[in-house]
Amino acid sequence: MPRPSLRATLPFLLFLTLVATSLASPQNIKITHTPLKAGDMAPDFALLDNHWNPVRLSDFRGKKNVVLAFYVLAFSEG
Amino acid sequence: MAKLEATGSIVLGISIDSPAANNAFAEKIGVKFPLLSDMNRKVLKQYGILGTYNVEKEEYDWAQRTTFVVDKQGVIRQVEEEASAINPNNAVALCTKLVKK
Repeated sequence: MPRPSLRATLPFLLFLTLVATSLASPQNIKITHTPLKAGDMAPDFALLDNHWNPVRLSDFRGKKNVVLAFYVLAFSEG
Repeated sequence: MAKLEATGSIVLGISIDSPAANNAFAEKIGVKFPLLSDMNRKVLKQYGILGTYNVEKEEYDWAQRTTFVVDKQGVIRQVEEEASAINPNNAVALCTKLVKK
């Protein structure tokens, strides 16, 4: 198979560059979606609560169902 | 939230705020459940919900609003993102169902 000429591939390369730059351009918010779904094990963690006490997710294993509510920032409407 | 506690569940709020800021927030809005501080974004990365926000050409990252219901075995039973995560009704319904099992 003959190698495609530069003349033929150049528009395609330009197109790729355009796509790449448009993806990389700054946006106000970059939304990511969690890869976790129902049926997955919840990753364990240890964090300090608002009284500086460590809390582990696994503390509640076998005891309580846990609702993890991630919020944007304190004192915001989020 | 009282409804959730009645089902034998606990709510954990998580954000990137410091424990001190979270405590002030807890007092202001009168929540009784723990507010956890993920200042180094470790858990947000683990859960894949670290959002990047562009404010005045500077990038900041903080949590995207997401709710996970985790059962007693540590298994995720429900994930709600963004707008639907604000409304606790689905989480309450599921927790009520989990308790009856």
